[in-house]
Amino acid sequence: MAVHSTPIASAAADAIASAELARRPVRLPRPGEALAFRRIVIGLLAVVVLAPVVLIVYQSFLDNPFFAPAAKLSLSAYRYILTDSMFYEALGNTVIMAVGMVSIAVPLGAALAFLITRTDLKFKRALEILVLVPMFISSIVLSFGYTVSVGPSGFITMAFRSVFGSAPWSLYTLTGIIVVCGLSHVPHVYLYVSAAMRNLPSDLEEAARVTGAPLWRVCLDVTVPMVLPALVFATALNLMIGFEMFGVPLVLGEPSGIVVLTTYVYKLTTLFGVPTYQLMAVVVVLLVLMTLPLVWYQRRLLRHARRYAALGGKGARTQVMRLGAKGQAIALSIIGFWLFVSVILPIGGITLRAFVGAWGQGVNPFDHLTLAHFGNLLEVPSLTRGIVNTMILAVVGGACAVAIYLVVGLAGHRNRDVSNTLLDYIVLLPRAMPGLMIGLAFFWLFLFVPFLVPLRTTLISIFIAYLVVGLSYGLRLLQGTLIQVAPELEEAARTTGATIGRSWRDVVIPIVRPGLAGAWALIMIVFLRDYATGVYLMSAGTEVIGSLMVSLLQTGAMDIIAALAFVSILLTAAAIGLALRLGAKMHD
Amino acid sequence: MSNLGMLGWSACVTLAAAGVAWADDPALVEAATSEGAVSVYTSTDIAQAKGLLDAFTAKYPGIRIDYNDVGTNGAYNRVIAEAAAKQMGGDVVWSSAMDLQMKLAADGYFEPYASPEAGVVPDWGKYQDLLYATTIEPVGIIYNKLVVGEDQVPKTRADLIAFLGDPAFNGVVATFDPEKSGSGFLFHTNDLHETTDFWDLAAAFAAANGKTYSSTGSIKETVVSGENALAFNIIGSYGIEWAQEIENLGVAFSSDYTAGFSRVAGIPAGAPHPNAAKLFVDFMLSKEGQSALAASDLPSLRTDIETGLDLDSLDELVGGNLRPIALNDTLLEFMDPMKRVEFLKEWKAAGKS
Repeated sequence: MAVHSTPIASAAADAIASAELARRPVRLPRPGEALAFRRIVIGLLAVVVLAPVVLIVYQSFLDNPFFAPAAKLSLSAYRYILTDSMFYEALGNTVIMAVGMVSIAVPLGAALAFLITRTDLKFKRALEILVLVPMFISSIVLSFGYTVSVGPSGFITMAFRSVFGSAPWSLYTLTGIIVVCGLSHVPHVYLYVSAAMRNLPSDLEEAARVTGAPLWRVCLDVTVPMVLPALVFATALNLMIGFEMFGVPLVLGEPSGIVVLTTYVYKLTTLFGVPTYQLMAVVVVLLVLMTLPLVWYQRRLLRHARRYAALGGKGARTQVMRLGAKGQAIALSIIGFWLFVSVILPIGGITLRAFVGAWGQGVNPFDHLTLAHFGNLLEVPSLTRGIVNTMILAVVGGACAVAIYLVVGLAGHRNRDVSNTLLDYIVLLPRAMPGLMIGLAFFWLFLFVPFLVPLRTTLISIFIAYLVVGLSYGLRLLQGTLIQVAPELEEAARTTGATIGRSWRDVVIPIVRPGLAGAWALIMIVFLRDYATGVYLMSAGTEVIGSLMVSLLQTGAMDIIAALAFVSILLTAAAIGLALRLGAKMHD
Repeated sequence: MSNLGMLGWSACVTLAAAGVAWADDPALVEAATSEGAVSVYTSTDIAQAKGLLDAFTAKYPGIRIDYNDVGTNGAYNRVIAEAAAKQMGGDVVWSSAMDLQMKLAADGYFEPYASPEAGVVPDWGKYQDLLYATTIEPVGIIYNKLVVGEDQVPKTRADLIAFLGDPAFNGVVATFDPEKSGSGFLFHTNDLHETTDFWDLAAAFAAANGKTYSSTGSIKETVVSGENALAFNIIGSYGIEWAQEIENLGVAFSSDYTAGFSRVAGIPAGAPHPNAAKLFVDFMLSKEGQSALAASDLPSLRTDIETGLDLDSLDELVGGNLRPIALNDTLLEFMDPMKRVEFLKEWKAAGKS
């Protein structure tokens, strides 16, 4: 899912990378550029990423599952989807959801970035971390949490109703989905915009202040136009995330029958009784075709972003603007309210649900307090295993992933070969596909590719799928770290006769080591929150928390789901703690 | 149909009365133990199956159970994909999607096995030595006692249609979604076969702005919380269990007609542990296995168990008109995609006329 590939520190990385790009003189490849190493690594990566993609594209042009003897080439799947009214309904809802989400997340994210980077807002240091929390919570956990707190019988809804007679919101509507998605993606915008705003000189803002402009005018007329490229970039990114959004519409769209493209794919599993992989594949191909232009456009923007920002000049000391007592109060209460809605409400809801047997109208949940749901987690081997596996995948898998991303990162580090263009594009592909389908494609690969067969029922199969799903995010993280090593250090090593491999081993890697630890913690969070990739891939012995929740949703065992969600929140909190300790670059 | 069901039933009662005994076949036990494991592809929650699994492990400590709760579609998908790859990983497919199981059987994915326990399974619960029903579970109604009064609870299908017409319950009635849930599809289409007023019910449901969900569990969550007042055509065996645990939840069945479905087990061709699979199927049908299932609120289709509900006591509980869904070709009718789409279209259009 695209959510996994959402960069945290990569805004900075992108900016640095684009600066690097501009500075770089055109040079022909020379001997000793480790070309063989680069090409082998990038080639291997291309195989791993392209295999599932090619399989899905191939499946979309068949009339039966690709492994069925009766399967033959056909456009019938495209014909069905393109004439199915539900597809267009789903497409329409998806566009509304993505646009709606962006129109909430972008203004709020920009305002938040302005307040934190350009003003003397109080509690800045704590807020810088707190405002990122919503992006760490798995969207499926988030949705369950909202159901319990602000659903039609949620405890906040009922408290509100008992005071005011009725509650003016309705969670299970397209609007409800948009608001939930929008609020939870504010950090995704904030990250990019704040990175851009931090680099701005304050002279123009000061000039505006001196001529008497109120703060909000300065923000709208001076600051925001200067970071426009970052805003457009964040908009494109969030539109893409909106197109791939699965967890929120899966849970909140169900009661009123709202379908979006990702849940439409999921629905195609049951609609015909037997699986219609060709139809699912078609939707995914169409989804990729729709999102790839966004990815491409996003990268193009990046190249120009720095040029824009540089217009302001450099070197001037940044002077923060004063908010005043009233301004402080207003700003802090808005941020507080947003945090309450997007963190406290869902986490509170899921926590409550995990500890009670019954809730809702006429029920005092505190009469039904129980630890029984957690007892289940300990008693039922597959659930216990799911928790253990998730931890292994996050901790060990996360470390392996960092090592692999580092190798790929080095292969692309100051790479002047054509293979680098290939790398750029294969990294983008998984970003444009739902994790659910990547997992399904890997399930097939592990089933039908002979030398992979023994790995299918091991955690390695899930790890490889995670690796691909997290690729664009993880690689950006590593590239961002690598690019910070000044080229003269490497050149010094090379001049004294070191091979390129040696200069990496003795110069680059030791320097980036602290960055690697931080990246490890952040990848851990990404692996912890994944729920879609394992749905088709996991089997007895390789259960993971996120996908267990999705599969339990089929029978609706909410007690267990809530307990698992609570455990997942605890694990994520631990990983965030670790990330902070290791000094992960959540911020630039 | 109903007569058939009743026939099969009395046959079962007779057999049970005759006391068909079954002793372990030592050769099978030995072969199964040397295989050392049995892998189950299922749609039954592990929490629900735990009693059965523990009883099996206690009896055959040498055989490990790999329990894969992959859902009805997951079980089906895995079987066809793994069969194509000649990498069958499942030994027993145990699923509540009776139609998908029939489809697999009809397409030759199952290996015949004449279980020595087959005698206890009524005729409606068997298909050519390929499939065996292992439970009998009523399709029923759950409701929120704080919202729906005892006297308002529908007692018959006609009552239910009338209930849907009550403006007080507009927008707060739920049922299984036939599009998203195979079980939901089965329950609704089975009603279409078994009753004459199915489309009246569908129209009334749509007119009442009813809501549909993909699982009985998520329906329960909404009924317990009061978000919905009542839900029909849901898995009644769960309803019976929940009504005992949750004080504001009630369960009800139509006395004039209550459908019963079964979790169906079969052994796929190419199963890696065929002997353990046979032993597991035998155990599921045995008195011990059935008692363990019934103790976990999955009523037994035997009549000689001591704990929990069995075929007779369940029939009594639902008002005497329990009609089990039979394992036969009728189930394949809606496996035809065109017929399926047609039904779904009609279902969606029901309220709009």
